[in-house]
Amino acid sequence: MTLLQREREIIVSNEYIDNFDFDEVKEFIKGASKNLFISHKFKTRDNILVQPRGGFPTYDKVFELYGEFKASNVDVLPLTIDSNTRLNDYAMAKKMLALSEENDTNMLNGYPLVNHGYRTTRKMMVHYDTPVSLRHGTPDARLLIETALASGIFEIEGGPITYLLPYSKNFPLDKAFLYWKYVERVCAEYSKLNEPINRESFGPLSATLQPPAIVIVIQLLEMLLSLEEGVKSFSVSFSQTGSMNQDIVSSNVIKKLARKYADKFGHDDAVINLVYHQWMGAFPYNKTYSDSLINTSTVIAAMVGADKIITKTRDEAFGIPTKESNAQAVANVKYTLNMLKGLPNVHDEAEEQNLTLQVDEILEAVFNDSADTLWRKVFNSIKKGYIDIPFSPHIINNNQVITVRDDKGNIRIYNKGNLPLSQKSFEFDREKIRLSKGESVVEKIIQDIGVML
Amino acid sequence: MKVVTGVVGNDIHVVANRLIDISLQERGFDVFNLGVNTYLEEFVDAVIETDADVLLISSLNGEAEGWCRDLGILKNRFDLSKVVFMIGGNLSVGEVSIDEIIPKFKNYGFDLVSHQSDLNEGLDKLEAFLKERS
Repeated sequence: MTLLQREREIIVSNEYIDNFDFDEVKEFIKGASKNLFISHKFKTRDNILVQPRGGFPTYDKVFELYGEFKASNVDVLPLTIDSNTRLNDYAMAKKMLALSEENDTNMLNGYPLVNHGYRTTRKMMVHYDTPVSLRHGTPDARLLIETALASGIFEIEGGPITYLLPYSKNFPLDKAFLYWKYVERVCAEYSKLNEPINRESFGPLSATLQPPAIVIVIQLLEMLLSLEEGVKSFSVSFSQTGSMNQDIVSSNVIKKLARKYADKFGHDDAVINLVYHQWMGAFPYNKTYSDSLINTSTVIAAMVGADKIITKTRDEAFGIPTKESNAQAVANVKYTLNMLKGLPNVHDEAEEQNLTLQVDEILEAVFNDSADTLWRKVFNSIKKGYIDIPFSPHIINNNQVITVRDDKGNIRIYNKGNLPLSQKSFEFDREKIRLSKGESVVEKIIQDIGVML
Repeated sequence: MKVVTGVVGNDIHVVANRLIDISLQERGFDVFNLGVNTYLEEFVDAVIETDADVLLISSLNGEAEGWCRDLGILKNRFDLSKVVFMIGGNLSVGEVSIDEIIPKFKNYGFDLVSHQSDLNEGLDKLEAFLKERS
């Protein structure tokens, strides 16, 4: 038995798991319908794939939600996991699930997949015969993804950086790297049986004024960490920045560099997809403004040539949307996308050149770290502040980088902290920032965070 | 002037915390930011460790009401008479009148209480208080 398999046996020997049968799971994946694999759907699609967000505590409510989405002609279904499961607190999840079932209320903010188990959940997946994407935020996702893959969920979102820096205060980062290495290896192993399992990184990060260079650096590093374990299908992602031009620039650069670095590290057989998140910041309270924001971001997704778009709803400012309003959002996005086929490629050479330079400079510093493995190089780089995201709650994040918007709404680096950027690539950003007379940087930041309100 | 700051309880809303940090630095304070998800005991430990002049606690989700009850006990345990205690943010879970919430937190042992007020307004108040005191 390999070391990995021994670790897997230990992980699934858990009091909340009822007899995890690896051989049966392997047979299931080997014979699973191609329609369950998003990697297959990417190959055969004729337009951008549309995926909403959503998850409820009980099986029945998720089943109804999926029914509603299918009626809106959804391409990819989401399964959002509750906060207790994300922190490996299966006891609390079990208790809250029981209360939700007894009283027909939602006591959890998502689906406690480990407690439901793969035998139950698989019935729903097989019934809808549609790709499902696992959305969570878990630093230690080992048991969760074993259960997800066994259920027929063949896209796994997350990564050691993107599910840690924006989601946790003090979960140890080195552990997160090792736990995610396990996830990558299991995904890689199952990828040999049928269509590949798709891994997706979470580009929105803390969703507050994230500079594109940092987003892209983190996307590329999580991609490389995944591919080096044998994953063959990977999605990089980013969210709407608030400037259409900056979105176009970001997408041109990330597409180009993802391919470049994947090939450079010997992964030319891996498929790389691009995912675009509709606006992830604070939403307006005016629902007609929300409709306009959602429509605009749909246009941008088409403009940037995304392979998948992840949608929001007009109820975003008010909490978790109803299944009807969520399904309506999917229908509207699909309707808009129908008008946007075959758009021309737009380029902004100067912006693309500088963003490429910034990404290359940071990556070079990461690769030059003296550690022996890539994950340790990345770990050291985060500790040193070579990678530093604005508005992270995590103690390891350097918290020195400050960003604000320029006159055109582009996110620019105001203070580079320890980012290993050259004077040239930093000045390109910095010189575009204009503060009005007497305006402090903090006032500007507050205004820029609320740009869509 | 040294300030210890952070978000109390299981609250992980980090955006305002970072803005407080930057604003304090801009005003020339030496900032020790404990970040989100910080317990009262940790705040007091940090004040002692850094020999801080000000403890500025913030809260967004309103949990502070439950988390700050024991401040008086901690203040009695150590000599913190020179430290200014301030709390600000959204100080209750439900809607509550300002005439009710401010005396409540003053009773807990805070010198300054800002409920749902502007960040700069609150920090102006702090600076005025410190000036008056010296």
